[in-house]
Amino acid sequence: MALPLVPYHTRRLARMTDFHGYLLPLSFSSILEEAKAVREAAGLFDISHMGHFLVKGPGARQAINHLVTSDLEAVPLGKSLYGLLPNDSGGTVDDLILASSGEGEVHIILNAGNREGDFAWIRSHLPPSLALLDLSIDQIALALQGPASPRIVSLLSQGFETMVRREVRFSTDSAERLWISRTGYTGEDGWEFFGPAEAILPIYKSLSEKGPDLGLVQAGLGARDLLRLEMAYPLYGQELTPEKTAFDAGLDFAVNLRKAPFLGREQMLEKREDPERDRLTGFVLAERGIPRTHCPVIDPATGRQVGEVTSGGHSPRVGGGFGLAYIDPSFFNDFMKGKEAGIEIHGKIHRARFHSRPFVAGGLTRK
Amino acid sequence: MSSERRYTPTHEWIQSSGDHSLMRVGITDFAQKEITDVVFVELPKIGKKIPQGAEAAIIESVKAAFSIYAPMGGEVVAVNSAIESNPALVNSDPYGSGWIFELRADDPAQWNSLLDEKGYQALLVSGAGGGH
Repeated sequence: MALPLVPYHTRRLARMTDFHGYLLPLSFSSILEEAKAVREAAGLFDISHMGHFLVKGPGARQAINHLVTSDLEAVPLGKSLYGLLPNDSGGTVDDLILASSGEGEVHIILNAGNREGDFAWIRSHLPPSLALLDLSIDQIALALQGPASPRIVSLLSQGFETMVRREVRFSTDSAERLWISRTGYTGEDGWEFFGPAEAILPIYKSLSEKGPDLGLVQAGLGARDLLRLEMAYPLYGQELTPEKTAFDAGLDFAVNLRKAPFLGREQMLEKREDPERDRLTGFVLAERGIPRTHCPVIDPATGRQVGEVTSGGHSPRVGGGFGLAYIDPSFFNDFMKGKEAGIEIHGKIHRARFHSRPFVAGGLTRK
Repeated sequence: MSSERRYTPTHEWIQSSGDHSLMRVGITDFAQKEITDVVFVELPKIGKKIPQGAEAAIIESVKAAFSIYAPMGGEVVAVNSAIESNPALVNSDPYGSGWIFELRADDPAQWNSLLDEKGYQALLVSGAGGGH
């Protein structure tokens, strides 16, 4: 599907790639250079593929709160929070960002690859009195990320720089379709903009034109994936699946067990008690190599497979190959205590050690 | 065989490196752009005999791993150790200091099976290349 900014990326000679049926920039110059720019200055990402839903009607907040793991009703209007949408066996339909713009208005930002499935799931679990709207059609969405973002966002002269972390502003004039938040998925300070193409295009043009003087670079999916992996943030389809719970993925912080019971809660708790469940863990390679998704994790003592890599990569900041893997509980404890694992890459075993998450300090944790 | 450079549909280049059966191999500018930031190269062992079209090296980039196939069969006689310490040379100078290995070609007739500059450019335009 053609997104509105594709002609602009093509003019910049971006290398494009297919992502869940959307043509998106993989990189503009170099993935490593773009990732570095985001950690040290700022990058601008096209995230127009992401989903933006609006739930409208009396009791919308409460109804959505019943479907997600975090407590939307405990968060003030205009403040966003991260949560998961469990399925009825406790696994995961998607992970999302939520915010209420009123008692009867909840905005949801979700993954591109799950947009249709999410829509069907949420619709089927909402009372008919509530409207569910997909605002993502013909939208432009941008992520401005990096320590220079506050100075760059002030170029827009909209006062966005006065927003606090996780604050969301919704439009008043462009009929409930704008979402502007101080959020992101890179571990750095920054803003995300969602809205109709005609409302966001001027922001894209303004940032692209004036931002470079303050260190802004255009950045693609390659850098975005590397940055999120350095922070050990999960990616749906890799760390999160219909079988894996928030607990499996180490996202306990996103599950509120004290709030009113939510759909899938009991099944999640049941799965948490399963002594056989795999655990998501961070690792770094002790030798040269790049682990990739689906690489087997091996117990070097027995040669037995004890896990599988979900996301892997190479980062100069981490110091080489690194990634996330689901590991069998029989091996997990020893691995955490320092026992080496083997990661099979191109048929060769590479030594790997446990690493705590995140792998690097992002700007948000450096402060 | 002169100093002419020839190509494979999988985006390797090969060129005589002085004497007529000593051939230098690398990847094309198109390939390095596709591959993105090269992080390291798994070089073949010197002395290894590689048939034409067989995997000779692996390039690991930020994006993925890519196999490099021997454009002509022969024995590996040299590898570019400079790209071990500075793999970005493959991106910045793919036809020069970013070369990958040299082989002693054992069948000069294989040269005729390779694409010339015009043929390779036509392949890029048609988008029919494969491998990477």
